[in-house]
Amino acid sequence: MTTALAALLITHVIAGVVAIGIHNVVLMHLLKKAPNYIFISRIAWSAVALFLLSWATSTYYYVTYYGTAVKPRILAGDAPFAHAFFMETKEHIFLLLPFVALSIALCVSYLRAHPEDDRLRKSTAFLTLIALGIGVATAVSGMFVSGSI
Amino acid sequence: MAVYDLLVLMHIIGTVLGVGAATFAEIFYTRFNSDNIITDDERSTLAVTYTIMRTGLFLLVVSGFGFLLYFRLTEYMDIFSSPSFWAKMTVVAVLAGNALLLQARLMPFLIGTAVSLTSWYAALTLGVLGKTSASYFEILAYYAVAVVIVALALRWIRARLHGTAQAKI
Repeated sequence: MTTALAALLITHVIAGVVAIGIHNVVLMHLLKKAPNYIFISRIAWSAVALFLLSWATSTYYYVTYYGTAVKPRILAGDAPFAHAFFMETKEHIFLLLPFVALSIALCVSYLRAHPEDDRLRKSTAFLTLIALGIGVATAVSGMFVSGSI
Repeated sequence: MAVYDLLVLMHIIGTVLGVGAATFAEIFYTRFNSDNIITDDERSTLAVTYTIMRTGLFLLVVSGFGFLLYFRLTEYMDIFSSPSFWAKMTVVAVLAGNALLLQARLMPFLIGTAVSLTSWYAALTLGVLGKTSASYFEILAYYAVAVVIVALALRWIRARLHGTAQAKI
């Protein structure tokens, strides 16, 4: 693997993990009765940027390296399901995540101007919980894939 | 300093902050609540302690994924077949989930604090022990027993300080 590809892989993982962590913080704040929407909207938009960065770097890594150098090794190894199930699921579910993150950021920005909308706060908290679940599942899938080479 | 040393340092700092903050959160809460009233000053002290605990969790998770990346890039794959590694991952996931449930008031406080305290010490112990002969499910069984023991101990301590009714909270 070249240094550039290693840097892309590192960016993909760290940006993704930090973005998942940010959604955790967003959810914790949305569960409060009077959240600080200025703070939440800032970090929610940071999560969108980080997910897009993670998405872009992983796409380049996947297209130029994973398919030719990593996937054949996994399929020939002891755990071919790591690609057949976990990577296939991860790469499709992960497509949703930046858009779910974008929806959360938009909702929180609206709540910043309309903090009295408690139903939207609860709905956004639920959506953030879903995003967190998808994010954690994606991260764990990545660990399975990495561990199966 | 090599990347690996930096990750070790970050991981240790995260664990120290988390274990220390979890311990002091419990001590402070028990002391502050001895008169059954949490004042604003006491509340802000607890808030700082919880912030330190979350900072520790953040450092622990980021450095943990840093280790995974390091092992992936150096092709050292033994870690992924280690039961204590997966047990530690489970414990950290429980920590994060428990924090969310406590925040949402869906977790009884006594059980939540016991899970938090035990999980931090379990993560520390698993990190120090490294490879063990115990299987994944054996480690989780020990962990579950430890949670019950810590919950009973905390209940006993609070009952001595506040009376039985308060200890049930």
